[in-house]
Amino acid sequence: MTKFLQWVEKVLMPPMAKLSEQRHLRAIRDGIVSTLPLIIVGSFFLIFSNPPIPKLAAKMSTELAGKIAIPVRITVGLMSLYASYGIGYSLSKSYKLDGVSGGILSLTAFIMTTIPLNIDGIGWTLPMGNLGGAGMFVAILMAIFAVEIMRILQTRNISIRMPEGVPDSVARSFEALIPAAVVITIIWAVRVMIGFDIQAFIMNIFKPLVRAGNTLPGILIPILLITLLWATGIHGVSIVGSIARPIWLTLSDENMMAIADGAKILPNIAPEPFFQWFIWIGGSGATLALVILFLTSKSKYLKQLGRTSILPSICNINEPVIFGAPIVLNPLLGIPFIIGPMITGVVTYFAMYFNMVARPATLPPWTLPAPIGAYLATNGDWKAAVLVIINIIIMIAIYYPFFKAYEKQLLAEEGKIEEELS
Amino acid sequence: MMKIIMVCSGGMSSSIVVNTIKKEAEKEGIDIEIKAVGTGEFADKIKDGWDLVLVAPQVRHRLDSFEEQAKAAGIPIEVIPPQSYSPLGGTKLITQVKKYL
Repeated sequence: MTKFLQWVEKVLMPPMAKLSEQRHLRAIRDGIVSTLPLIIVGSFFLIFSNPPIPKLAAKMSTELAGKIAIPVRITVGLMSLYASYGIGYSLSKSYKLDGVSGGILSLTAFIMTTIPLNIDGIGWTLPMGNLGGAGMFVAILMAIFAVEIMRILQTRNISIRMPEGVPDSVARSFEALIPAAVVITIIWAVRVMIGFDIQAFIMNIFKPLVRAGNTLPGILIPILLITLLWATGIHGVSIVGSIARPIWLTLSDENMMAIADGAKILPNIAPEPFFQWFIWIGGSGATLALVILFLTSKSKYLKQLGRTSILPSICNINEPVIFGAPIVLNPLLGIPFIIGPMITGVVTYFAMYFNMVARPATLPPWTLPAPIGAYLATNGDWKAAVLVIINIIIMIAIYYPFFKAYEKQLLAEEGKIEEELS
Repeated sequence: MMKIIMVCSGGMSSSIVVNTIKKEAEKEGIDIEIKAVGTGEFADKIKDGWDLVLVAPQVRHRLDSFEEQAKAAGIPIEVIPPQSYSPLGGTKLITQVKKYL
């Protein structure tokens, strides 16, 4: 096991860390993460529009529910719109280009792939269907396209320069003129004049990937990679998430929109809250169970670590445990840390596959205690909170023998130190 | 007074370690100001005039880009070793900081 962990650190970790640091992937991650506050607030409106309390839900008229759900449509329903600006901003910043110009140009490029409709009595209208999670990959590729055009033109020195003395902001808007003209003309020609549906084309390419994210291997692979990376002390979610988050958010958006449209059974099992609330209970590796065991430990060190880290653990912050225990490069605690979440992953997947527990949709803030987070994420299914408790018990059982073996090791060391002191 | 900026993934876990360093510094009578930031804010916050950058171990794979920015700002940078990154690592943490007093 020690050798295996060293192998993970030397062979698996560097290319993955490098990949997640790749310029475009980093811009995608930062851009998408910047939309999370909107999605979390949207989540709350969704919960209020479908209150988890049956008595309240019965009193709620469809009209009122529809009104409460408007912020959901504006936040979650337009998620890709905000992300496209964020991705364009981050990517142009990484090239040391003007961030605001890059963001706006990306936004334009993304909207240009949607054709507005002129509806009688309403006027020109943009169909929103593909501006939410469904259009995420379109937003990503259009942002990259727009900023790369900007960069190529800049490096070839093709831009309109203002004489000195012109205020910065004015000069900047002129500098963005040619890139904007090129981007808009190309997309207009392809989408409107030739009539090639860019959105459908990109969405079809990525559809298998999004659907794969919703299968059993699709949840087990990210779970395994995340714990493997954390077992070497690297932030697993931040690396794996930079690739998987667009998929998770697309799944999540489909579920939220299904709720807003009144569906009872949701289409997807594995949006991000699946991992957050049912698997990472207490943080990556489901370490809340381990901290509970620490509290009962005869080892002074583990007991004190348990006491200082129980509160952060309830809020899903577990760096003190991962580095304090340590779990990092510790074969004894590493085994349950890696294997346990795969088991609770399978249990949770099938509980939701057979609709014994509601499927998660919304994104409550990640520092809530897991049973509450799971209850809110599933739009108020109490069975979800029960499943979280079951998963904690499973994790306690898996950690227990390894914890006991490790405790024995520490007790022997602590005994030795005390002997030397006396 | 010594001003330290610490970077971790979201700025959450590091605030626990920040408190540990603060307590330990108080015990030893060292005057420090220390702030935790997430990787996203780092590029902006680094310009606010610091004496030392500490990098949390779980984001050490991004050290290259942090190092570049710290160098540009002329600030020394150190990765916290995994074994001291916990609320019980106070003594080790303060020894690491004291080198830059």
